[in-house]
Amino acid sequence: MVDVELRAKRDALEYLWRQGLSGQPLLHKHSQLIDDYLAGLFNNCPEASENMSLVALGGYGRKELFPYSDIDLLLLHAPEAEDRLGPVTEALFYPLWDAGLEVGHGVRTIAACLADARQDFFFQVALLDARHLAGSVPLFNSMHQAFHRELIAGHRQDFLQNMMQHRKERHQRYGMHSYQLEPHIKESRGGFRDIQAMLWVSHALFGLQELSAIEEAGLISPQEKEPFTQARDFLIKIRNRLHYLSGRKNDQMFFEYQEEMAKAFRYSDTRGALGVERFMQDIYRHLQTIATTTDLFFEHVDETLGAPRANPVEQTLEPGITVRQDRLHLTDQALLEKRPHLLMRLFAQAGKTGLEIHHRSRKIVTANLHLVDDRLRHSKRMAKAFFEVLENTKDVLGVLSVMLDTGLLTAYLPEFEQIRALAQHDVYHVFTVDRHLLHTVTELKTLSLSKTPFAGVESPHVLALAALLHDIGKGYHEDHSQRGSKLAAGIGKRLGMTEAETACLSFLVEKHLFLTVTALRRDLEDDAFLRQCAEQIQSPERLTMLYLLSIADAKATGPTAWTEWKGALLLEISLKIAHLLERKDTVLPDKSQGAGWMLEQVRALLGKEAPADYKILPEEYLLSFPPEEVAHHLTLHAGLKNKKEAIIEPADHTLFWSVLIMAHDSTGLLAKICGTLALHGLNVVSAQIFTWEDGTAVDVLNVRPAAEQTYTEQDWLALGEDLNLALKNRLGLSHRLVEKFRTALRPSGQKNVQAAPRVVIDNMASEQYTIIEVFANDRPGLLYDITRTMADFELNIHRARISSDGDQIVDVFYTLDSFATKINSPSFQEEISKALIHIAER
Amino acid sequence: MKKIEAIIKPFKLDEVKEALNEMGIKGMTISEVKGYGRQKGHKEIYRGAEYIVDFIPKVKIEIIVDAGMVEAVVTKIRETANTGKIGDGKIFVLPVDEVIRVRTGETGKEAI
Repeated sequence: MVDVELRAKRDALEYLWRQGLSGQPLLHKHSQLIDDYLAGLFNNCPEASENMSLVALGGYGRKELFPYSDIDLLLLHAPEAEDRLGPVTEALFYPLWDAGLEVGHGVRTIAACLADARQDFFFQVALLDARHLAGSVPLFNSMHQAFHRELIAGHRQDFLQNMMQHRKERHQRYGMHSYQLEPHIKESRGGFRDIQAMLWVSHALFGLQELSAIEEAGLISPQEKEPFTQARDFLIKIRNRLHYLSGRKNDQMFFEYQEEMAKAFRYSDTRGALGVERFMQDIYRHLQTIATTTDLFFEHVDETLGAPRANPVEQTLEPGITVRQDRLHLTDQALLEKRPHLLMRLFAQAGKTGLEIHHRSRKIVTANLHLVDDRLRHSKRMAKAFFEVLENTKDVLGVLSVMLDTGLLTAYLPEFEQIRALAQHDVYHVFTVDRHLLHTVTELKTLSLSKTPFAGVESPHVLALAALLHDIGKGYHEDHSQRGSKLAAGIGKRLGMTEAETACLSFLVEKHLFLTVTALRRDLEDDAFLRQCAEQIQSPERLTMLYLLSIADAKATGPTAWTEWKGALLLEISLKIAHLLERKDTVLPDKSQGAGWMLEQVRALLGKEAPADYKILPEEYLLSFPPEEVAHHLTLHAGLKNKKEAIIEPADHTLFWSVLIMAHDSTGLLAKICGTLALHGLNVVSAQIFTWEDGTAVDVLNVRPAAEQTYTEQDWLALGEDLNLALKNRLGLSHRLVEKFRTALRPSGQKNVQAAPRVVIDNMASEQYTIIEVFANDRPGLLYDITRTMADFELNIHRARISSDGDQIVDVFYTLDSFATKINSPSFQEEISKALIHIAER
Repeated sequence: MKKIEAIIKPFKLDEVKEALNEMGIKGMTISEVKGYGRQKGHKEIYRGAEYIVDFIPKVKIEIIVDAGMVEAVVTKIRETANTGKIGDGKIFVLPVDEVIRVRTGETGKEAI
């Protein structure tokens, strides 16, 4: 029996492998072994004639035969050899089948080969690797030449497009959840098929067969080639072992094999992570290397070969960044070295415009990562650009993925290195930690566009950063929430966030599992326990953030982590805590004591000599600012007495300005302020509004530049002049606003679905105030119109929260009527409601 | 042999599981279920908007035990899952004709 011989040879090969033969040498040895065996069979078969030729195809043709790979064979024959084929095929294929090998076989003439290759792209690609094994060389050569003449030459564009289309479809099919956890070494993104696709295209289009030739042709860079080769060699070893371990042609890293494989490759458990997790981390990193390199390769080739794109006009977005043929380009290396934050600006522009970054510029980013030094990591401009990416990007997953793949994210936030491609060895966490974090940011973005009870976050950038960092503490030998909270605090500080924002960020990271765990494990009827929760969370704002983060986190974890069932529990606990927090809002037990303490602090700061009149400070005002700020306000107040003008003081807070405005109170003051701010292109995010007993209005408004502007220098002097004119009733805000926004660019194309505006007047939620909530589609100047309408009704606005979700605004005003009482009359409520809806509908 | 199905409040799951483990019952099937019963879903109003959850999240535990153990197990679950408030859940006891272990083909008591 011949197959005994083959079996013995293959056993011997496995023995050699156990002795340490691995990687490419094993593949070659295996191919050689099969070559010899098949040539023997062919040559010993009397019916095999000069009219026939035995050909190896596909992986076997490339001499890359993995232990249990298919052996793809073609018996090529001249038409006249037809009647002698039977005995030859029997002599060739039966022994292989008997030996239990998987054989792909075809028996064809040259004409049939060409016809099939035209029909079947896979066969066409297999022929590309055709290698003569035995029999007639001239016959093989004529097939080879005919194939290249008829199917390849002149069809380069088709070949490329076909290959790219198959690659895309394959990535989709093998990109599903189950393949994240158990990557397919051959078909997944970054697997062997991607390597081959690159080699096939180089071969078919440029006649380049070796990686070194591809490098010489400039299709991949020397910096790319080395990690690429490392990744390929690593994956070859993995696949060899996977075959032997499974005892069959298995290319998927099934869960059950992962631990054994990790052990075989000598990964051992360390503090913080299991050996198998580090092992899988290396696999994911290598897959990523190949995916990134081949992505760039295909883009490059497509651009070189493809038809020129529409829109050839070059447009400069900002110095150093241009749009050319719908791709973003970094254009000026010298400028980049001078202003390295351009690296991040590139991504901000990608987020804002929705355009892709050209592959060459992605390489430029990677080649310039040395510019990301400690100084740049502390740079305010860099931080602003980074927050713009987090907040203003439509395809946030796409842009952040490129940032991760180019290495910029890890360079900017070195804390990311620990969790890059880190796998968690369970069936629950589908993504590696870094991808999970990117997905969480994305889910958060999606959530902010849907309707949830908790929406309208005051500082969305803090929440977005918390989503990006919530698992940053994984992979260390301690509780990941605690560790992450410390790391996040450091990052917040480095990025120039205020103390309050950093504290909030650190809180969110530390408590990101709190609501979910509590909802599942604790009795939601237990009021005492719920009160404890409320005390920990402290404010409705934080609760809202935590709620949104919890959902985004679960949704980004995997298909089993988020269910409607869990959502119901989470909603229940959040609403219960929310009601407690809202109540707490108005009945602080030690309120008077707090105000007294505050006064002492302020007195100490100002010194006894200061002529300040402390009696004019309302209690609620005192409890809303730190002592330093109150003291500062009092100092300014002394100056105000002598002037009839308002005082304006902007403070830069990375992502927004906090503007202090002090003026003598008058009807419609807030409307005038809002109108002037809008006139100067500023959107109000939130506002705290107080009136001292002597009639001094102290308003602190957080504002941001309207969407179409970037963070340019704001002309505060001009703003101040306009505000003072408005206060003296010398400035027609209404007509000026209409004028300004008539010329402003309206988003092109169709209007979004417009929800009808809604006004809710609520006397229950707060003990002291009537809360007026306005839900409406945003338009420039809307806030001015709303506040002016309220002024017409002589309503006093004591606090306001202004937020917008895309096109929708949700404005909440804490108000009292002109008698400083709640708005109790239903008919008056109705009247206000109608007037506001009328304004919002305009 | 009997099958015991207990529908309980989610936060009681760990306690009940532990109590059953102590009795020597290690194997059980647990699932997240939605209850639409006497304790109807609830409507919440927050900041002027209504939120309706039309089901109550519950956990279902399924255990197969020898008939002689039924009373002890049921009592244990009842004691552990009880909070005295509405919505504590229900326990069902059902007859089981046969149990077969897939791997070995064992049947009856041996297969539990």
